[in-house]
Amino acid sequence: MDIKFSGVTKIFEPDIIALEDIYLQVDKGEFVYLVGETGSGKTTLMRCITREVVPTRGQISVGGNLLRKINRFDLALFRRDIGVVFQSFLLLPNLTAFENVAFVLEVMGLPPKEISERVSEVLKLVGIWRRRNLYPPQLSGGEQQRLAIARAIVNGPSLLIADEPTGNLDTHTADEIMQLILGINAAGTTVLMATHNQYLVDTYRHRVVEIHRGRVVRDEEQGRYELNGGC
Amino acid sequence: MAAVRYACRDGWRLIVRHWGMSLLTVFTAMSVFFIIGASTLFVLNVRNIVSSLENQLTIQAYLKPKADIAAAEKAIKALPYVKETKAITKDMALERLRSRIGEQAKAVMLLGENPLPESIEIKVRKASEVAETARLLVAVPEVEDIVYAGRVAEKLTRVSGFVEKFSIVMLLVAIAASGVVLFNTIRISVYSRAEEIGVMMMVGATSTYVALPFVIQGFILGLAGALLASVMLCGTYYAAVTRLKDMLPFLPFIESTRLTGKLAFMLVCCGATVSLISSLMAVEKFIRKASRPL
Repeated sequence: MDIKFSGVTKIFEPDIIALEDIYLQVDKGEFVYLVGETGSGKTTLMRCITREVVPTRGQISVGGNLLRKINRFDLALFRRDIGVVFQSFLLLPNLTAFENVAFVLEVMGLPPKEISERVSEVLKLVGIWRRRNLYPPQLSGGEQQRLAIARAIVNGPSLLIADEPTGNLDTHTADEIMQLILGINAAGTTVLMATHNQYLVDTYRHRVVEIHRGRVVRDEEQGRYELNGGC
Repeated sequence: MAAVRYACRDGWRLIVRHWGMSLLTVFTAMSVFFIIGASTLFVLNVRNIVSSLENQLTIQAYLKPKADIAAAEKAIKALPYVKETKAITKDMALERLRSRIGEQAKAVMLLGENPLPESIEIKVRKASEVAETARLLVAVPEVEDIVYAGRVAEKLTRVSGFVEKFSIVMLLVAIAASGVVLFNTIRISVYSRAEEIGVMMMVGATSTYVALPFVIQGFILGLAGALLASVMLCGTYYAAVTRLKDMLPFLPFIESTRLTGKLAFMLVCCGATVSLISSLMAVEKFIRKASRPL
């Protein structure tokens, strides 16, 4: 799934400029790191892709869908083809690990047998199959992150958006999560990952897009982490 | 099909998860629907009593001496509001008098000729039509005098009108109250799952998919309240009527099981409709707000 931002500006009332004149093209199957200081606009940019945020100016096209024109029903269908790993996991505390993943497929109306098979498969893939009957608060931070990834990929999305997927994780666990995401990308899924983790960006080299005060200030193939901050 | 299965399962899960609130809602809905049912039965009974009294209300039109009684009855029957007429000849009038005062009626015959006038007994459909009918009767040439219970008719008309208005207001207030209670329960349920709904919408759940469990939850609670109210109403009504009949044997209370059955059915339908509408309103309002992008 490709992404195209054409002159996108987002101003939150009354006058907070979150994004300013963004032009960005991400091709199908690409892996892109979004880097930048806290509050630079990375999350807003990602939320524009899922249409949680609507730009004040400009156009966004994702997988050929013009997001400004999409209606409520089509938006639901569109979101089924996107996997999102939230910064704060957003797991449902009163559902077990298995149910947290299964409910994405239930939303899509899949038969129970298929749901069971696919959830089992993906929980094994992310390495928390043995913890499937535990509730999110009973899981460690790394396990919760794996569960969030499992939920994001269980529907086989064409685009994976990960907002700080390794935040608050130790280097070893972050490495494992990164391997997982790279594996998903290798299978053809476009990945857009916002991160502050210098180690990961510099170790697993991919395209780096740096955002500073709502503007794209650097766009490098095989880039490094160092923040230029608009210099 | 899977979505409906999920909605039913999740709707039930919502009820169980918030069991305290669910119980409270069922109890409140039951109380409200019981009040609706009880006030309806009260109104129906008052109407029944009023109508039976109205049936007993008659106008007596006394005819002029030597007037043609058949022609007079024909003319009166042609008047609007007149439901029934009965011609009372001199002999019939005397017979009636005898049955009331016994042998003393013989005193009348001492006058030689039967002095009682011929009359027509008239029944109208409603108490409110008595006064107007009496006014029209004056214009009938054969009629000499009219006697009717004017005050009783007026009072019955007033009672009947008041009961009708009171019943409508009472029903509307009770239905609105049940709607508000259910609306609030569903709203609390929806807000307690705000995060979950946000995630659901993020992973591609349609509005219908998100709303359905809440609507089912509200529907079940409202329906349960109405069903319990119906059972309670039928039970208490017959017990109350049995006692009232002993205390006030002259009043005609409704005892038809068909009527109470119909009322119970109406209550259940009313519960289902009100709960569906109020749940839909509560959840739709939230979803519209949640799905609005920033």
